Amino acid sequence: MFTGGLDIVSSYPFSAIYGSEEAKNALLCALINPSIRSVLIVGPSGTAKTILSRSVSGYLSGRRVINIPLNVTEEQLFGGLDFQATLESGIIKEMPGLLGRSDGNIVYIDDANLIDSRLLTSLLDAIFKGEIILEREGISSRRPCSTLLIATMNLEEAELNDCVMDRFDLCAHMTSHDEHDAREEILRRNMLFYRNPLNFKEHYSNEDTNIVGRINRARQLLPHILLDDEALQLITELCAEAGAEGHRAGITMAHASIALAALDERGEVNLRDVENAAKICLSHRWNSDLTTPPINDQGDDHRDLEYVKGNEDSNNDNPEGDNSPNHEIEFEPDLDNPKTDPIDDILFEIGATFEVIDYLSNHNIRKITRSRKGKRSLVESDDSSGRYVRPRVPGGTPRDVAFDATIRAAAPYQTRRDRNGLMIVIEEQDIREKVRERRCGYTILFLVDASGSLGVRRRMAAVKGAVFSMLQDSYVQRDHIGLMAFRRDSAEMILPPTRSAEYAYQRLDDLPTGGKTPLATALITASEFMNIYSRAHPGEKCSIVLVTDGRANVPMSEGSDANEEVLKIAENITTPRVKWVVIDTESGRVKLGNASRLADKLGADIFLLDELSADNISKGIRSALECM
Amino acid sequence: MSSSQALFPFTSIVGQEDMKRALLLNIIDPGIGGVLIRGEKGTAKSTAVRSLVQILPEREVMKNCIFRCEYARPEKACSSCNERLASGEEIDSINVPMVVVELPLSATEDRVAGTLDIEYALKTGKKRFEPGILAQANGNILYIDEVNLLDDHLVDLLLDSAAMGVNYVEREGVSFSHPSRFILIGTMNPEEGDLRPQLLDRFGLSVDVEGEADIEDKIEIIKRRLTFDRDPERYVNDCQPDMNALRKKIAHAKNIINQIALDDDAINIVVKLTTHFGITGHRADITLMKAARANAALEGRIEVTLEDLRIVSALVLSHRMKRRPFEGLCLDADELEKCLQVG
Repeated sequence: MFTGGLDIVSSYPFSAIYGSEEAKNALLCALINPSIRSVLIVGPSGTAKTILSRSVSGYLSGRRVINIPLNVTEEQLFGGLDFQATLESGIIKEMPGLLGRSDGNIVYIDDANLIDSRLLTSLLDAIFKGEIILEREGISSRRPCSTLLIATMNLEEAELNDCVMDRFDLCAHMTSHDEHDAREEILRRNMLFYRNPLNFKEHYSNEDTNIVGRINRARQLLPHILLDDEALQLITELCAEAGAEGHRAGITMAHASIALAALDERGEVNLRDVENAAKICLSHRWNSDLTTPPINDQGDDHRDLEYVKGNEDSNNDNPEGDNSPNHEIEFEPDLDNPKTDPIDDILFEIGATFEVIDYLSNHNIRKITRSRKGKRSLVESDDSSGRYVRPRVPGGTPRDVAFDATIRAAAPYQTRRDRNGLMIVIEEQDIREKVRERRCGYTILFLVDASGSLGVRRRMAAVKGAVFSMLQDSYVQRDHIGLMAFRRDSAEMILPPTRSAEYAYQRLDDLPTGGKTPLATALITASEFMNIYSRAHPGEKCSIVLVTDGRANVPMSEGSDANEEVLKIAENITTPRVKWVVIDTESGRVKLGNASRLADKLGADIFLLDELSADNISKGIRSALECM
Repeated sequence: MSSSQALFPFTSIVGQEDMKRALLLNIIDPGIGGVLIRGEKGTAKSTAVRSLVQILPEREVMKNCIFRCEYARPEKACSSCNERLASGEEIDSINVPMVVVELPLSATEDRVAGTLDIEYALKTGKKRFEPGILAQANGNILYIDEVNLLDDHLVDLLLDSAAMGVNYVEREGVSFSHPSRFILIGTMNPEEGDLRPQLLDRFGLSVDVEGEADIEDKIEIIKRRLTFDRDPERYVNDCQPDMNALRKKIAHAKNIINQIALDDDAINIVVKLTTHFGITGHRADITLMKAARANAALEGRIEVTLEDLRIVSALVLSHRMKRRPFEGLCLDADELEKCLQVG
């Protein structure tokens, strides 16, 4: 048959990868201890995540590494009907999926955060259970699956949600080595490899052989390693401290500690093993509601272990001679909880801007995942764009025929059909269509009151700060952002929806304030625009975020009360596909509450600018959108 | 690509030196990782990329291989070449011209990655893989106009292939992989939106192009274009000597690039540059070094000089500067000079 292997061939030697002890430890644990079945490697781009994962293939692990492409379909991964074999034999034959074919080996996903999350969950489930259960296309089967999953993920784009993260046994972080000497060494090794890969591999072959020897000895030792009560106690304490729910964390940590002791050729687990195991078992399981993990930005090599409690001697055990003051826990500000946010007070001044920049340059996984989870939702595409995820029986006339599934559906019946010389006769009931998914985008039109009533400098800074936060969010999330401002006597489209955060920022920066408040006109202009836009972009979740104090003073028809008019218009506006959010900027002692009446008429969620930091506003809007 | 329609000669493009250099460096060393060309409409971006086909070198590939596997690297060959080799067949080599393969924005996933050959399946009841654009792109240039508007799921496909050099297809009943190493060239108009960060990072080099400001240059551009439009074939013919010279220069550079020794001073300066500009990850360091070497080779030298590093720094670093999208992408020239001081 005409197929190509999906194997990944190791090229860059494992031992030539500089530093990265945490990730290497995680992989070695998994290679030593078969109870560890999944490893996630997290880090920014260009930190050798992929190179490291590939390096375990073949010689190092004695196993094959099989790549799972991001666009894999369900039946290819888990198995389905083999139409060729079914046609030949006339009885239903199963085609094992990629996972079934990789039993006893390693499967690998690059950029796991970009794969269909349902697929990833099922995959982790099968790997955890060690069995693939197949019930589809007339097939009912069970297959063993003792496969190790290695996945990498980049922080810059979408993230995995907590439940998926928790399913990974181990999670290691790779960082870029920013010290000059380290960088030079990494560059030198890479160039030597690039110029002459064979020589380079030869040079490191002894070290790789050593590692293989260590792995093999460790595997033999594994059943004899002792885990005493003290170590077990520490494991439980650390898990409790991390707020890691369920027993999975503790069990994995025990497995990892045992593997690390075996790797060191020791008969029993010591506290150092537990500490090292904690690094790779707990980082992805910290419960942010309870606490935030202590983080040291110096990189993984010097990550402090101050959070290891209940062992006064741990400093002595620590070969790095960590002289940090006693076991104090350093908390990072918890972004989910405004009370602990130290920048809360200055946000309304220039704080908003400051916060955003600080936030962007921060490559801290825990902070990012905890505060901004599960955003890039996938929606079913209703045209023929997007990724083909699975076939289904069409409801009416199929628009987008899934030929592969159709042929599979028809295959079992071919011996009974009058084939008239054809190989396959397809009847109507065989037809399947493609279900496609595309990443759902958000389009957010900011409708900003730039009139004099908002002209208090402090307010405008805060408003801009809120919009700014969304802009930088949109850069990562690939939302479309538009900006419309109303002042004097009209509403003006400052920036039609764009994905260019750069342009949006410039326009926002240049937005002047002052004049009257033509709120009614603004409502009509914005809703007309977004109605057209949402029809033209059916896949997008659209919303208008109205930032105002609600005090209108320019009526559309002369002589009428501007505020009454606004409410009437708000009540009558129909924007079927557009979600409204109102951000009330009213300040001062006397509050008229116009904005909340307006929000009521629009059926909008309302947020008070006064109560929210810039960061919380953007999150509030987002969570309102999520609920659509 | 069909060559029936004459293309405006690469060597006749006025100005845009950075863009032309970035393209040439990639042809000399495809390991640099492609070019992203940012600029407004009408700045000869697409013209330059498409016209590359006239000066691209030939490649020595395995005969009778649909993926045109590189002859010199059998370890990277496709499965059918591997089978042929394993069966003891002595595969001949054949020289084929390198081409520019375009990926249109409207392409569907199955056409890009390849899929089940439906016709074959219906006729014979057997599975066969029908190669897509990523197969055509192997060993060639993959060009995406308006790359910032490409659908996310297609970008994912590209990221996969760009990272592995292999296109893994596991869908619609086929399980297949084949080599897919290509020089990725994207053009975009930044006003229409940013590029996904992960894809941005995959591009080895980036250039910002602007329309030529100089009046005389502008006049020259129009003159050349008019002459070309009047009689394209003759115009191309007239440019043949220039194009031949450039082709020779590229061939020479490709020959000597491997003679360039690793140079500690150059390594030191590369790291100074990336550290100074706060670049995370190590891809920038490696790309900077490769690009400097390619530039030295292009100039016919077998050692990397400060001038090489100066020329390629902006190409390598500007799109990798700290991700503050609101600050624009630019490299401070004074700071660059400071880093280029030896010692």
